[in-house]
Amino acid sequence: MRGRPLLHTTYGSDQALLNTGTKKLLMSLFMLLLLAIPLFAPGTIGEEGSLPGPDFLAAGDWLRLLSTVGIYAIGALGLNILTGMAGQVSLGHAFFMGLGAYTAVVLGAPEGALWGLGLPIWVWLPGAGIVAALVGIAVAPTAMRVRGLYLAIVTLGLVFIGAYLWRNLDFITGGSQSGRSHPQFEFKLWKEEAPLIDFSEDGIWFGVLNLSSEAKTYLLILVLTIAAVLLAKNLHRTRSGRAFMSIRDRDIAAEIMGVNEFKYKTTAFAISSFFAGVAGALLASLVGRTIPETWNLFLSVQFIAIIFIGGIGTVSGVILGTLFVILLPRIVKDFTEWMETVVESGDGIMAGVLDLFISTKPGDFGLINTSAGVAPGLGIDQFNLVIYGLLIIGFLIFEPLGLYGIWIRIRNYWKGWPFTY
Amino acid sequence: MRVRNKWLAIFLVMGLTLAACSPSDSSDTTEGATATTEGATATTEGATDTTEGATDTTEGAREIATDIGVDLEAGTITVGFLTDQTGVFSPLVTVVNTGIEAYWANVNANGGVHGLEVVLDFGDTAYNGEQHVQLFEEMKDEVVAFGHSVGSPQTVAITPGLIEQGMLAIPLTWYSGWSDPNYNSSVVPHGTPYCIEAMNSIEYMAGETGLDSPTVAIASIGGDYGLDASDGARLAAEALGLEIVYDGAGAIVAGDPTSYIEVGNAIAEADPDIVYHTGIPWLGWPEVYTQAAITNGLEALWSGASPSWAPNYVSEDSGIRDEIARDMYWGFYLQPWDGDSEGAATVREVMTAAGAPPHDYYGEGFVEGQLLLQALNIAYENGDMTQAGVLAAAKSIESVDYNGLAPSDDYVGEPNEIVQRVVHMMRPDLTSETGSKLVQADYTSPTAAAYEFNGACFLLELG
Repeated sequence: MRGRPLLHTTYGSDQALLNTGTKKLLMSLFMLLLLAIPLFAPGTIGEEGSLPGPDFLAAGDWLRLLSTVGIYAIGALGLNILTGMAGQVSLGHAFFMGLGAYTAVVLGAPEGALWGLGLPIWVWLPGAGIVAALVGIAVAPTAMRVRGLYLAIVTLGLVFIGAYLWRNLDFITGGSQSGRSHPQFEFKLWKEEAPLIDFSEDGIWFGVLNLSSEAKTYLLILVLTIAAVLLAKNLHRTRSGRAFMSIRDRDIAAEIMGVNEFKYKTTAFAISSFFAGVAGALLASLVGRTIPETWNLFLSVQFIAIIFIGGIGTVSGVILGTLFVILLPRIVKDFTEWMETVVESGDGIMAGVLDLFISTKPGDFGLINTSAGVAPGLGIDQFNLVIYGLLIIGFLIFEPLGLYGIWIRIRNYWKGWPFTY
Repeated sequence: MRVRNKWLAIFLVMGLTLAACSPSDSSDTTEGATATTEGATATTEGATDTTEGATDTTEGAREIATDIGVDLEAGTITVGFLTDQTGVFSPLVTVVNTGIEAYWANVNANGGVHGLEVVLDFGDTAYNGEQHVQLFEEMKDEVVAFGHSVGSPQTVAITPGLIEQGMLAIPLTWYSGWSDPNYNSSVVPHGTPYCIEAMNSIEYMAGETGLDSPTVAIASIGGDYGLDASDGARLAAEALGLEIVYDGAGAIVAGDPTSYIEVGNAIAEADPDIVYHTGIPWLGWPEVYTQAAITNGLEALWSGASPSWAPNYVSEDSGIRDEIARDMYWGFYLQPWDGDSEGAATVREVMTAAGAPPHDYYGEGFVEGQLLLQALNIAYENGDMTQAGVLAAAKSIESVDYNGLAPSDDYVGEPNEIVQRVVHMMRPDLTSETGSKLVQADYTSPTAAAYEFNGACFLLELG
């Protein structure tokens, strides 16, 4: 079948995750690139060596940002299974993330004034997912009674129940506005002093790789994200995945066809909550210290934004959406700083035009306030919220498949080029 | 099988190609550069030289060790601020930032730090822990120190990073834990802690009631801010033998109107003579006050840790203007806008020249600035303007004199000796430019003076 990559003669090749040679090649290159990112930093190989590449990506702040992308992607994949695949709208994702974070802290934080058992990561990380999944199973029966907007309201209630619990269980959470520290990324066999692998300290791996704590953490999150992607992607090809999609497309029809609605809705809630719990535990440990107010409605909305902007129901869309939503604030910030530099230089028409967009001092006119003090305009953070809102509306109206849909169109255009018409 | 082997070979070749190492750029470009300004004399002890080649070799010119955030060739020192421009405390913090910008513009106009211009780099954390830590990671390799870090839990979250990096941060929170040097080795505090501020306010208001034994109600939001202040109010009430008729420490949930109504009703029902209520002015404080004092008609004196006050309580369109002017007191370590000290006069002069309208909180930017300026000057005089050098310089400061804008901060001695206990007692004033007036300067109540301070009143667990 050489030269005819779209002709599949077996069920296996038709269902393969990477079903064409080009996909395999590009994915392999992409994986190599992701693994190589930390090695772009000077001095990571031997004394002074590094891989040639964009070394800004290997700076601590970017590695941290990419780790955040990975963690949010795990959480968003979970929501995508529930909402994108099984069609159950949920605003309660932040609750399950909080539940995962606090399960992890009870299992993994050292014993002290607040609850903590000091167990290793191989206990607290899966534990966070399992406890969240069990609670997800307990919540699932509500999805049998209500659907659509009503289910959204029910799951919204979870966020408020969580807010109440996290504020009042101060022996676990550290209390409102106080919070507590979360377990560090380190691999121990049990409770021994020195960890086998310490992700939170700089160190040398394989004798030659000088890796910072941010680089090690990034690699850990990368491996976990790849595992989550494979799980989610494989789910599409399973009996359960197909059952989820049939319930999403028409639950009554699915049931008539013999799909056990109760079983599969419960399974969807369990898997989704597991992903959310793991993501919550990872996020809390990456931040280091969280307060109960972290797990709020806005966090849930961010995940909704990710799957809508990326492309609901698709794994690739979720990854694209996460990259977009997490990196957008940084891009807006850097772009605003660039505008500020141009305006301050005062040279040319560009400075005059950009000056209309930013305000730099009290009394100045502009859309974005770049001064740290009191001045007109929106703060960058507020501006990002406006952009999220506009994008969600824009994608829902013009491109329901999100960034993934745009990608598909671009791909199809070039696939047929120069005969695309 | 053959196909698999082919791909394996391709990846191996590609991997080897990518693994071709390139020489790294040197990250340390400024170490040992020579500053051209005349050297001043170091006056403090204990600063440690942690870098190579930082010795004073010639008179009139000195070698300055640098690593991050100080560029001697460009003549700049970059200072970072983990600030809140859009979060819950932004209405207050943006005013402080306006003060910071004006203060450093004035310093730079007058020669900077031994001829080096101080450049400010603000990062908006939106009072969000995740964003705070991310911004710390972004900025720690660009700035020499953090001129402020807003929020105690957030500052605690970056503590491991600060210690690992060997960097200074000045907390923009008046949590009592910062006054204990054992609590955090990378921060230098300033001002009077919430807890001691509350002790002063309770005793002052007890005198104002004219009663022998007035009753007290305590209410607050959670966290270091609310609970530290509530602990201080409780300690003062107990020391003075005042009955606490309602204790709602931590009962107010910012953003939850139900909690405002419940706490307001509970306070009114307890019928206290004094209410010490610590909250966020833009998110709950006026609502609780309104529920208790306006809806339920409670007559009492009201106070709260200083950020509980906001000038808009007495603005023309405020619905509680007259009642607040009648009921409210607060203690603050800063002199107000129209303070009579040389320091307050400087604030007025600089801010007026910058075109900023009168406000009491610019002074905070000036106090943070003076503390940092002193640290930078010492670091320069020590010949060590590395991040660790600036931290060591800040830790070696014995005292900072704010020319009366705030009581001098002392840093040598046990926590009980150095903790700041002085406040200025303030009241709303409908005729003042900033809505407030000073009613008692440099006040330390007997309870606050006698309090044995051995560490945080409310312990924000590090674990």
